[in-house]
Amino acid sequence: MNALSTPPTPREFDMTWSHCPWGMATIDVAGNLRDFNPALERCTGMSGATLVGMSEAAFVAHLAVLPLEHTRVETGGSSLRAIHYLRSATALTRQNQWLAGLAEILREPLTSIYGFAELLLTQNYADDIRHDLTATLLEQVELMTNLINEQLDTSRPPAAWSQGSSQPRQRNPGDHE
Amino acid sequence: MKKLLIVDDQPHIRQMIRLAVGNSLSLKEAGSADAAFESILAERPDAIVLDVMMPGSMNGFQLCERIKRDSALAGIYVVLVTARGQVADQEFGRALGADAYFVKPFSPLALARHLTDALEKRDA
Repeated sequence: MNALSTPPTPREFDMTWSHCPWGMATIDVAGNLRDFNPALERCTGMSGATLVGMSEAAFVAHLAVLPLEHTRVETGGSSLRAIHYLRSATALTRQNQWLAGLAEILREPLTSIYGFAELLLTQNYADDIRHDLTATLLEQVELMTNLINEQLDTSRPPAAWSQGSSQPRQRNPGDHE
Repeated sequence: MKKLLIVDDQPHIRQMIRLAVGNSLSLKEAGSADAAFESILAERPDAIVLDVMMPGSMNGFQLCERIKRDSALAGIYVVLVTARGQVADQEFGRALGADAYFVKPFSPLALARHLTDALEKRDA
């Protein structure tokens, strides 16, 4: 760890805070966003009026859909709970975020497939319930197959990468190319 | 009998958890965090299985935070269930006060055992 020989003056600290290319936001002990620097407004596209007082949970939920690199540090201090650091994602990070988003989408039908298969294997249900569970299981297999075919089985990279989106496209049954 | 509230916008996920828990707990369900909060105030469940990413004005993280910040509700055992697998999300869930975190896909029977054990330990 690098230690400073003398602590920064308020002016030096303000320069660092205001001109840092990383967006920074502090969370107070009550769990609300307290301070943020100009870079945070730029990289999140959120106005200061929206940010001030926002709960950390709402803030993190908003960040989840943005193509940003994001680090959260617990401060352990008496006035600050945590600091969030953000910056626009690099192409590689966007690719990783896109894949993480795809994993998230695929885990949804996989949850039903795993869960209903486990219940059918280990529990004794009446025939009508077994029929319903098997039908749901097959629906989820079909959904997962469609997701794999549409999102992964392609020779071209997803358009979302070059458009800056970190989210794979969740397709609805009525969607067409 | 202990009361469990299952909160997920996917009806078949609620059905899966309901079947796994069986008759060991008294069950209520909600399809959104907003509906869940109303049910929490009315029913005062002992535990909640709470999906993180849901449509509506509040997600699972926000509802968890609201529960754990309210001294009258903070004792409710909250299990977050999510398709988001990143360690940062789990750490954030813990920071909000969640008691357990299950990443999808998960074993519904393991979740049911976890709930039964956790509620029994609380009584011991």
